[in-house]
Amino acid sequence: MNLISSFLLSMGDFLEYDFLFFALVGTLILSITCGLISPLIVARKFAFMGSAVSHSTLFGLSMGLIFFPWENTFAVFTTTLIITLLLVTFLAQATYRQKLPTDGLIGIFFTASMGAGILLFHLFARQRGNLMGILFGDILLLRVEDLWFSFFLLALFIPAILIPFKKWIYTSYDEEGAIISGLNVKLFHYSFYFLVTILIVSSIKIAGTVLINTLLLVPGVFGLKMAKTIPQTFVYSVLFSVIFSCLGLLLANWQGLPSGATLSVIQFLALSLLLLLGKFKKKS
Amino acid sequence: MSGPFLQIEHLSYAYQINKQILNKISFDLKKGESLGILGPNGGGKSTLLKILVGLLKKQSGSIKIEGLEVDPSSANYRHYFAYLPQATEFNEILPVRVKDLLDYACLLKESATKISETLEIVGMLNKQDELISALSGGERQRVLLAKALIHGPKILVLDEPTNGLDSNGQDQLLAILNTIKKEQATAVIIVDHNINQILKHCDKILCLNNSGHWHDSKDLLTKNILESIYHCEFEHTLIHEKVGDQIDHHQCVTHGPKHNDDKEKA
Repeated sequence: MNLISSFLLSMGDFLEYDFLFFALVGTLILSITCGLISPLIVARKFAFMGSAVSHSTLFGLSMGLIFFPWENTFAVFTTTLIITLLLVTFLAQATYRQKLPTDGLIGIFFTASMGAGILLFHLFARQRGNLMGILFGDILLLRVEDLWFSFFLLALFIPAILIPFKKWIYTSYDEEGAIISGLNVKLFHYSFYFLVTILIVSSIKIAGTVLINTLLLVPGVFGLKMAKTIPQTFVYSVLFSVIFSCLGLLLANWQGLPSGATLSVIQFLALSLLLLLGKFKKKS
Repeated sequence: MSGPFLQIEHLSYAYQINKQILNKISFDLKKGESLGILGPNGGGKSTLLKILVGLLKKQSGSIKIEGLEVDPSSANYRHYFAYLPQATEFNEILPVRVKDLLDYACLLKESATKISETLEIVGMLNKQDELISALSGGERQRVLLAKALIHGPKILVLDEPTNGLDSNGQDQLLAILNTIKKEQATAVIIVDHNINQILKHCDKILCLNNSGHWHDSKDLLTKNILESIYHCEFEHTLIHEKVGDQIDHHQCVTHGPKHNDDKEKA
């Protein structure tokens, strides 16, 4: 009883402190955006790609820090985004309708760009800031500008996913059939790479690689495992993402734990528990 | 008697230089007629179908519909053809239902018939809300057939549609195809390894082998001969003896009425 009341009391902190309130709103927005795209990431087998992009941002960040001071956040992250998008274009080209497994190519891209990023940083930008700190950002350090940026991302992703929703599903479900029907499958392939890259690069400062990869994968796996229809999959994914991200943040604040890591562990535990319950329900 | 609806003339294709897979293939088909394509693996059957539906660009020869030369890869002519590929791999992790798939197939072009009507033709109306991943092999093929039929194609191109089906499933599928052929006057081109089914259900037969020559006559291509083309190409030489100079019924592009071997011996 004491535990519950202490947990409920800790929730008041989110109204009392601005930084906690911002973190909660930021988590809410980011979890909706990620929940919306997560089933597509899992279904299109982009899990490794997401991880590769999030780590390859090191190259863009290093380049950004060579030209701009860390205080000029906008310039640093715009440089990072442009450079990562250019790198990802090559990756998208190399992986389009390839018979060879694409994970090998993605692995090469992952390690080469990350290595080059660390090297550049070491040689030219070491005095400009803590690269690892940037890469493993903290949701508790959100500012109002970051929240506006999260809103902008959500406003970009909702139409980008929902307007051509059936086309996303068709190109993910039956690529050959979509080509025969005249759909521009190549455009969807490239667009998906770009959308995922924009989301990851833009969210790294807010959430960090661990949290962003969790948010991009776990809700989608839950939705795809539990739902019986396509719309249900996406609704389940967004609901799971929102509920367990917010719960993770509340628990992190209550126990004074690192927010990103707590959110990731809570999402994983919730996924395992719900899938287990689903299995028991099926058997009975 | 009306003229041919589809005319293929001297169609050739090579994946590599000096490795001709199709060599000046010619045949024609009327509305409501069916062509069965037989031949060993690597004989060019799937390549021919892919050229017909515009997935591969022809390298020489012509494809004519009602006398006019067409490019099947162009959007203007794509609706003439519907294609059921040899192996359709769905991303089964997505919970797509039967009616969803047909709905997606109509994203760019409105369907000629309602989804429910098309599903009724293939006998799958009662399964429209079921997940495709939960269907049997035969049911899945019927859904794919419905997807191919949804735009009311003039030419239905099927690559081994009975593959993996039991004899009951094969009969059901071929019976549906016969109905479509008759009721909708759709020309059907079907590749299959089942010689009996092809001989029973198709009006014309084209036999492609992988040594550069081909035949198109249902009268001459008896089961024995077709089997020999498949397995050892021995009895196939009998055709040449039987036909003699009647090249009209037995087209042989790399040589005249004599067989390749005869030519070499001479």
